[in-house]
Amino acid sequence: MVPLENYLVLSAILFSLGVYGVLARRNAVLVLMSVELMLNAVSMNFIAFSAYLDPSRITGVIFAVFIITVAAAEVGLALAIVIRLFRNRATVNVDEAAILKW
Amino acid sequence: MTITEHAYLLAAIPAGMFLLLALLGRYLPRGGDYLGVLATGTSFGLMIAVVANYVQNRGGLGGAFQHGLEAQEFPAWTNSIEWSTVGDFVLRMGIYVDPITVLMLGVITTVALMVNIFSIGYMKGEPRYYWFFAVLQLFVASMLMLVLADNLLLLLISWELVGVCSFLLIGFYWEKRSATEAAKKAFITTRVGDVGLFIGVVLLGKAAGTFNIQDVIHAAQEGHIGSTYLFVSMMFLFLGAMGKSAQVPFHVWLPDAMEGPTPVSALIHAATMVVAGVYLTARMLPAFEVAGDMMLIITLVGLVTALLTGFIALAQTDIKKVLAYSTVGQLGFMFVALGSGAPEAAMFHLMTHAFFKALLFLGSGSVIHATHHHQEMDELGGLWKKMPITATTFLIGSLALAGVFPLAGFWSKDEILHSTLDWGGGWAFILLAFAAVLTAFYTTRLFVRTFLGKPKDQHIYEHTHESSFVMTGPLLFLCLLAIVSGFVVFQDVGKAIGFPGGITEFIFVEHPHVFHIDWALAGTSIAIGVIGIFSAGWMYWGGSTVRSTKLAEWQPGLYDMITNKFYFDEMYQYGIDRGLLGFSFIVSWFDRYVVNDTGVDGSAQITKYSGSVLKYAQTGKVPNYAMGVAIGVITLAVVGLAVRG
Repeated sequence: MVPLENYLVLSAILFSLGVYGVLARRNAVLVLMSVELMLNAVSMNFIAFSAYLDPSRITGVIFAVFIITVAAAEVGLALAIVIRLFRNRATVNVDEAAILKW
Repeated sequence: MTITEHAYLLAAIPAGMFLLLALLGRYLPRGGDYLGVLATGTSFGLMIAVVANYVQNRGGLGGAFQHGLEAQEFPAWTNSIEWSTVGDFVLRMGIYVDPITVLMLGVITTVALMVNIFSIGYMKGEPRYYWFFAVLQLFVASMLMLVLADNLLLLLISWELVGVCSFLLIGFYWEKRSATEAAKKAFITTRVGDVGLFIGVVLLGKAAGTFNIQDVIHAAQEGHIGSTYLFVSMMFLFLGAMGKSAQVPFHVWLPDAMEGPTPVSALIHAATMVVAGVYLTARMLPAFEVAGDMMLIITLVGLVTALLTGFIALAQTDIKKVLAYSTVGQLGFMFVALGSGAPEAAMFHLMTHAFFKALLFLGSGSVIHATHHHQEMDELGGLWKKMPITATTFLIGSLALAGVFPLAGFWSKDEILHSTLDWGGGWAFILLAFAAVLTAFYTTRLFVRTFLGKPKDQHIYEHTHESSFVMTGPLLFLCLLAIVSGFVVFQDVGKAIGFPGGITEFIFVEHPHVFHIDWALAGTSIAIGVIGIFSAGWMYWGGSTVRSTKLAEWQPGLYDMITNKFYFDEMYQYGIDRGLLGFSFIVSWFDRYVVNDTGVDGSAQITKYSGSVLKYAQTGKVPNYAMGVAIGVITLAVVGLAVRG
């Protein structure tokens, strides 16, 4: 059986990739994709812990299902915003959408 | 079960009538004045039953004096209920009926009934007619509760209630600015004393562990309260008595209180409320006796008041103001008696004074009503022919006040003079006798200038007429009492009514004192009256003021002091302007610049400034926020791991 650590390491790598993407990328679509990566990393953690620590109950799996649902909704909303942004500014560069400040 | 145990009904009936009149009075025909008379009349009837029951039962005990009963065994009826329980402390509220209470009940209900009847005539056609009678009932109820109270808290509540009624009735004509000013002055001046009373009650209650008056007195007598502590708390208590009874330096409110309707002056500011201080002191006298030099202080306050107001009354020209200063002076007499350890003399004088002073006030009310609100002596004169009944009763009242044999005032004033001699203060006797001469003098002046001589204002004189029977009736009844109420001092009279030993033995139980005529003292008393009356008669005969003007010119400085009432009002005004307002200025400065500008506005300023600096951190760029979140999470994780080790 694959040890738990392997899952955790994979999850950590995925999460770090996501963080990097969110911080480094300027394209709004790529930023959203990176957020998805982070969410999936978290889901994987939940499932791994659920399967290894308390297999009789499926709490972690349920969480993962919820995360997928919420993520789908979030992406739907976020992409709609990105489309509106593109219509108005002809760009999806997040640095240029910086008027929400003092 | 006896009626005496249910004496609280005396207060409950007018209290209920107050509610009825205050809520529905305006819809009743004639403002419900007959209901007011009915309520006080019922109280009066119950009072007679209570007195009869009390005297009879006391007679059954054979009288304390004859059998040498101890003070504690003296018959006093109590009836109380458990009011509230806080931990181990049980507060009981109830009534306590002893001779002092019985006497007060008699005075209050009698004068209240007479004033109620008189008011029907006097207040006819006034605005807020129903409201006058409503507040009058509330006053009677609170005053009766005050004298019935068996504990200091209930007494304090009633004390404040009568103060409120006094305020409402002084300011009855609130369209007049002077009336509202007088009402405020009365309320605030007595309030200074009332705070003292409140502190005193709390101090005594704390030390004695109970508010029951008899238990507090007992604790004081047994020495359960430290001597300095007792002195201080009794001093505070006495401040309350001084405020209510308008003793120097609190006397300034009573003359101004004459702005109220005259029946109110008769009831509240002559016969009942102002004697609450005397009542309280008499009630607590055993505790005062063991509280250091309190007795001497009481005597001095009374003496100074009697003399000072005696002088002031000499130069007043308003009928009611003369009577007001006279009232303050007579209250001073009572305090002298109390300070001399003779509450029986004080209570006796309280009773006779209530009757003849109420008579005088109602008589002046009759004059004011008949002359359509002219109450300056300079405008009146010669009213004897126009108003014979008022003039005759007023004359008898004046003679009683002057202490003329054998009217009521003579016997009670005699008792007070006697008490100062017993106490051993020759100087007090001489000063008090001089105050009595002044009393006789200004009383005669008042009568001569109002009722004798030629009318000074022909127009007013011609429109004057004798008052209707609803007003002269109470005058006649009170006149009768002013003549006969002094005789209860005799043992034979007392025996006939039910208290062998006369009123003085009836009232005070610890040092029973039976009245006997001391001819030297009686002669002095008669001489006092004669000197005062004849000198005033000589000076003002025929309404002439030529001689008095000469006297004023002879001593302009003294005359100036007297007409300006020894500058008390001016001193207080100065003190308020400089002291109180100065202090208020400092407080308001502190409030404005320290509390408001630094405290309240300061925190807002800090928020505003920090916001103006920190707002630049808000770049609007998503990656900056994301970086902030990332750094925050990493920091939290590192700190969390470090803390967990």
